[in-house]
Amino acid sequence: MSYFFQLVVSGMVVGSIYALSALGFVLIYKSSRVLNIAHGQIIAAGAFITYALTVMVGIPLYIAFLLSMIITFFLAMAVERIFLRKLIGEPIISVIMVTIGLMSILDGLIYLTPFGTLNLSFPPFFPTTPISLGGVSISWTQLVGVLVTAVFIGGLSWFFKKSTLGISMRAVSDDQLAAMSVGISVPKVFGLAWALAGMSAAAAGGIIGNITGLNFDTLHAFGILVFPVVILGGLDSIIGAVVAGIIMGLIQQFAAGYLDGNWGLNGTADVLPYIVLLILLLFKPHGLFGTHEIERV
Amino acid sequence: MATNRWLATGNFFSTYKEEQRIFLTNIDRLTIWSLIAALYAWPLIFQMSNKNMLVIDSILVAVVAVIGLNMVTGFAGLISIGHAAFVGVGAYTAALLAASWGESHAILTHAWPLVILFSGLVGAVIGGFVGLPAMRLKHLYLAIATLSFQMIFTWTINFMTLFNQGQTMPLPRVFWLTGKVVRKDHYFFWYFVILTVIVMSGFAVRNLMRTRYGRCLIAVRDNDRAADAMGMHPGFTKVYAFALAGFFAGMAGAMHAYLFRGAGIESFSLHQSISYLAMAIVGGLGTLSGSFFGPAAIQFLDLQVENLSAWAGTILGSSMNLATALRPLTFGLVIVLFLIFEPRGIANWWRITRSYFKLWPFRY
Repeated sequence: MSYFFQLVVSGMVVGSIYALSALGFVLIYKSSRVLNIAHGQIIAAGAFITYALTVMVGIPLYIAFLLSMIITFFLAMAVERIFLRKLIGEPIISVIMVTIGLMSILDGLIYLTPFGTLNLSFPPFFPTTPISLGGVSISWTQLVGVLVTAVFIGGLSWFFKKSTLGISMRAVSDDQLAAMSVGISVPKVFGLAWALAGMSAAAAGGIIGNITGLNFDTLHAFGILVFPVVILGGLDSIIGAVVAGIIMGLIQQFAAGYLDGNWGLNGTADVLPYIVLLILLLFKPHGLFGTHEIERV
Repeated sequence: MATNRWLATGNFFSTYKEEQRIFLTNIDRLTIWSLIAALYAWPLIFQMSNKNMLVIDSILVAVVAVIGLNMVTGFAGLISIGHAAFVGVGAYTAALLAASWGESHAILTHAWPLVILFSGLVGAVIGGFVGLPAMRLKHLYLAIATLSFQMIFTWTINFMTLFNQGQTMPLPRVFWLTGKVVRKDHYFFWYFVILTVIVMSGFAVRNLMRTRYGRCLIAVRDNDRAADAMGMHPGFTKVYAFALAGFFAGMAGAMHAYLFRGAGIESFSLHQSISYLAMAIVGGLGTLSGSFFGPAAIQFLDLQVENLSAWAGTILGSSMNLATALRPLTFGLVIVLFLIFEPRGIANWWRITRSYFKLWPFRY
């Protein structure tokens, strides 16, 4: 039984990181209807910047973490300004392809730095002895990761509910024309959405880097696994991202814990999320919490 | 009416049938047929090395695959991020036949056109099956559903011992009227085979787009609710678009497997799917000529970048792995620049050039 709970706990941990990464997608999609395929690369960039600042420059981790969030904030804003601003109003496939191109460009840029091929891990920052509660153990890094995720999601929810900027972002996602007519600058909101997404990506990257170590290929694979999470939750729902993230984390951990090794299966954690996604999409074509678009001819 | 059969001096169509002709003038007919004749003739005149022939052959295989992708993404407007998996289905169909019947079975070595066709049909069935979610899903949800297929395909191949766990599965050399196609002639021979398939599928697609089965694809792309109201069945059309794409991809896959004498998972990865999408976009989505330009442009670029990074590697030393960095960098830049500055792709340049010569010496 404790094995089961152990899996539940680690599933929640992985899931909350998925949720944090998926949040960035949802932010961008909600405001500008762009699916940012390059999000995984921004996550990786955030992780590498954090590492470079802590280990190479020697700044304490929490300050480096904040700094990397600020850097990716502006990085993502620049990306939006340079690549996406020109494509407002273009068909959806062009926009997706631009973000795919962006993914390649960022890949190339990361490979240019030494981080592209190295296997790195953060120096231990938190106590290394895990906390155990009734046979279930969780490491300090994971715990802090979950806490940071919770804080982030709570903060963003507050931001969207209460602050003027957040409300204007919701207005833009609801109806761009109406938002413009009450004096909201739509391009500025797009830029801000990207910047916030970049920030959350950096946070996710920093946490993953601390938990699993830094390897570009792993981060890459992680970035792709965030797609089923966002689609499962519904592209434009923050709650959906959180719920689907945790569901996917649990699925992965249970697959790795119970399926692998039995009946000659292995590596099911990489494929089961997609199978579950396909089956669920047959019943709920807009994900769990996505808005149903009402379409007219 | 006595119209000029050689030169179009204006638009004198009085029936829809006239407008839908493949060749509007005899000059058009002459250019296309002489172009095809030239394509068949040049390898006989210029002796190419095996290495160069292989590059040209792989471009041609990509052309067949991109024709398929253009059916589903270009004409029917359904984004497919899993096209390499369909190509893989074709390749692995041929490879499985070789594995279960033995490598030198007569059907594989002598009746290889049937194997290619059969792989295409298997691709079509799998394509139609994967396209089933398209009945309900739209836009991005569908794109990620096709991505899911790509992931499941990769996992299945890597996992199952039936598929040699992603290691290369061998295919035999084939026989032709003149006997066994030996190593020296292998790529030379397949050039003609693939070219024939391309010419046939080119005309097939062109003709398909003149019938209602082709035009309903475009109608569904432009507005599926309106198409529904006009009496088409959007859900069925989408599944059928996926099946068509799967057919071309399956043929391309079987030819790929024969050409490289084996099927291995690395040719059918997610990265390759994205490359196919890039080829379709650089060539021009929803155009037939774009399916020819796109693969050629992307493969050519790939080669040049390889040369460039090899050259840069000799200067800078191998401390930085420039090849791995430059390839995605240029690839991404080309996609982005094309989408921003020429969203209609190289096919649009081709259109502009053609109309220039058609109207010359006048401007319009």
